[in-house]
Amino acid sequence: MVNPRRTALLLGTALVAGGLAVASGPAMAQKKGGSLVYANVSAVGTMDPHVANAVADLETIHHVHEGLVAMGEDYAAKPMLASKVDISPDGRTFTFSLRKGVKFSNGKEMTAADVLASYERYKKVSPNAPALADVAAMETPDPYTFIIKLNKPNSLFVEVMKTPTYSFSILPAEQKDKPARDGDLVGTGPYMVAEWARDSHLVLKRNDNYVADDSAKGPDGYAGKKTAYLDSIRYNSVPEANTRIAAIQSGGADFIATIPGDLAKRLKGNKDVTVMSVIPFCQATFIQHAKNGISTNHYVRQAVAALVDAEEMMEAAGQVWDRNPSLMFKPSAYHTTVGAPWYDQKSVEKAKALLKQGNYAGEKIVLETNNNYAYMRDSSQVLAEQMKKAGMNVELKMVDWTTNAGDMARGTGGWNITITGLCSGPLLGPQQWRLSLAYAQNPDDPVVTDGYAKMFATTDFAERKRIWDGIEKYFLEEGYLVKVADIADLRGMNGKFANIKPYYMQRFWDVWVK
Amino acid sequence: MKLLRRLAYRLGQAVPVILVVAVLAFFLMHLLPGDPAVIIAGTEAGPEAVERIRHQLGLDRSIPEQLIVWLWHLAQGDFGTSIIHNESVLSALADRMPVTLSLTLVSFAITIPVGILFGVAAAKFRNTWIDSAVMFLALVGVSVPGFWIAILSVILFSVTLGWLPASGYVPLSQGVLPWLLALLQPAAMLALFQIGFLARMARSATLDVLDQDYIRTARAKGVSEWQTIAKHAFRNTLIPVVTATGIILSLLMGGSVVIEQVFALPGVGRLIVQAILTRDYPMVQGTLLALAFMFVAINLMVDIVYTWVDPRVRYD
Repeated sequence: MVNPRRTALLLGTALVAGGLAVASGPAMAQKKGGSLVYANVSAVGTMDPHVANAVADLETIHHVHEGLVAMGEDYAAKPMLASKVDISPDGRTFTFSLRKGVKFSNGKEMTAADVLASYERYKKVSPNAPALADVAAMETPDPYTFIIKLNKPNSLFVEVMKTPTYSFSILPAEQKDKPARDGDLVGTGPYMVAEWARDSHLVLKRNDNYVADDSAKGPDGYAGKKTAYLDSIRYNSVPEANTRIAAIQSGGADFIATIPGDLAKRLKGNKDVTVMSVIPFCQATFIQHAKNGISTNHYVRQAVAALVDAEEMMEAAGQVWDRNPSLMFKPSAYHTTVGAPWYDQKSVEKAKALLKQGNYAGEKIVLETNNNYAYMRDSSQVLAEQMKKAGMNVELKMVDWTTNAGDMARGTGGWNITITGLCSGPLLGPQQWRLSLAYAQNPDDPVVTDGYAKMFATTDFAERKRIWDGIEKYFLEEGYLVKVADIADLRGMNGKFANIKPYYMQRFWDVWVK
Repeated sequence: MKLLRRLAYRLGQAVPVILVVAVLAFFLMHLLPGDPAVIIAGTEAGPEAVERIRHQLGLDRSIPEQLIVWLWHLAQGDFGTSIIHNESVLSALADRMPVTLSLTLVSFAITIPVGILFGVAAAKFRNTWIDSAVMFLALVGVSVPGFWIAILSVILFSVTLGWLPASGYVPLSQGVLPWLLALLQPAAMLALFQIGFLARMARSATLDVLDQDYIRTARAKGVSEWQTIAKHAFRNTLIPVVTATGIILSLLMGGSVVIEQVFALPGVGRLIVQAILTRDYPMVQGTLLALAFMFVAINLMVDIVYTWVDPRVRYD
């Protein structure tokens, strides 16, 4: 059945994309100058790339800092500060040849010593330091070569390093002993920090010492040849969505982040503002606790999965969305349809039958959600009603996102089911998924531990894909994860700038004033 | 001298109040579910990383132990360091306070004359359409949610008319006019509620005064009506109004939490909201404590102003 709302939105997206393609055509002169004002949902909390994990922080950080590799337009790993990466046949030694002549914004040349110091700092301060747990040695045989040796093979190690969250950015070696969140804001990126007023705004200005990667044809995601046309980019913190919309309508902002679906209607028909849909952005997913009370029962978990109605849940929240049975987004090489039988089943009858099979006797099921994200709250409310129809004794527990996130990560709070939006894992691949899989509280499940060990050990992509398919099928069939939908992030922009393209985290290099 | 002694006595009385606020703030924050270590580490971090951060921040210690450590640092003048931003609480407050003070003072400057004028006018023209209009506006002011009216105001004055900026703050150092333009709309919205409150109070106080014998005497002596109000009634009306202004100043500071959020003003209100959302314990505790100090100071100021307004009140 065709979903008119979704189709209209997809068409809308296509129109925006088409308009952008025209705007970036050869007729448009690419010139330096101008300033862009971006009204974002929150203030930049930290500019320390090794610890940052919030999108508002990361969007600015990746204009200032770069890593050896970065995610490309297709979200695969691409060389950035490294010109190439050689992987030994046993998958244990990674030799990075560094680009020569790359400079930090303070004018100092970046060498292997800076890379080594950055990785040593990362091991000390980053919450993602366990990603380097298997590193046996790091060597710098010459100023332009950096070698990482692992204790055991990991064919996905370079993919791990492309992550934009807890970025493996290269900082000057002098910052090696700087504590977390206390760096000097010096990077190799096309922009540098000019001004930062916490809770208010952060201004980036063009980094005149920037050395672009001329071997690339142009920008490629967060990699490639980047050109800073804009003199400056100002990131204002405007948490209230209505105020962000007012800001772009009144000329107080050129670009705004995250417009709720219902408020996007206010911009309909406005010739000066275009709404850009970034989809897929995240995926709405229910998680069932593998080790708490009744949700240890396979049939009860399956019954919950059988009730999910993607359309009803997303429409209730006014969310722009798309159907996708996979835990991976469609651009990913790991996208699969193995989970299709358990997707969008919307069957109360099937749920009732499964509950009977599982000898469910009215035990309480706690569904924990939060009031901060409309799609999480509304999807949970719809699921709770469906569960009641199926005869389940459900308690809907509404908390704030901080509590919800903490409970989800630690398995605390007494929840049996909770919901979250998963963003980077579905985009970046299985290596990024591992920690999110642990939300089901079964990190020691042999399907996960053995699966990942085998996946890391093989250099054959087809084999890795087969193993991931097995893990994904297991989590969906068991109902540990119940996929609802891919969801969009709506952003607004005025017509002053050319070449602004939809991307997971917004970029403003290679954007110029029309 | 007696005044100074009295002030010192009042400040001494404030110490246990502030101590209670400190302990309450500590327990209220720690009673909230949610873990700041998860916020710092991010939801994609593993349990070991979260535990490491908990240990680094001392969150793995018992609650009484954490309270004692915090109070000990407080006694030494150390308000602590934000566990989210790695920034000293006092320095964060010093950065944000000018915004909140600016907003509060501009709002206060709107509230007091408008509220008193409305109240006195309503009393003077008691039971006329002016009285009804003022009381209706006062009712609207105290009834309509500030958040909602602020959004409507942004749509009208920023989007439709384009007269005022929709959001953001301009420091006073960049010019009085830009500073005032940035604050006018949020300050007016913040003032709306308090104008209603003050107008009702000023009306009732003026009505009481206008019934007094000395007003009748002034009128009998042939003093003009406006002179009677301005010279004889107004100063006596001010006594309950001064009490109310102290409360209003405190309420304006409290109300700034919502208004700063809507108008994206980087003040103490937003700081505290963010700190609560991220369970930044030292920041919330330190900010609440600083606000408690300020409220005590405002009350003291009101006491001093009293002695000027009403010569019968003396500290002797």
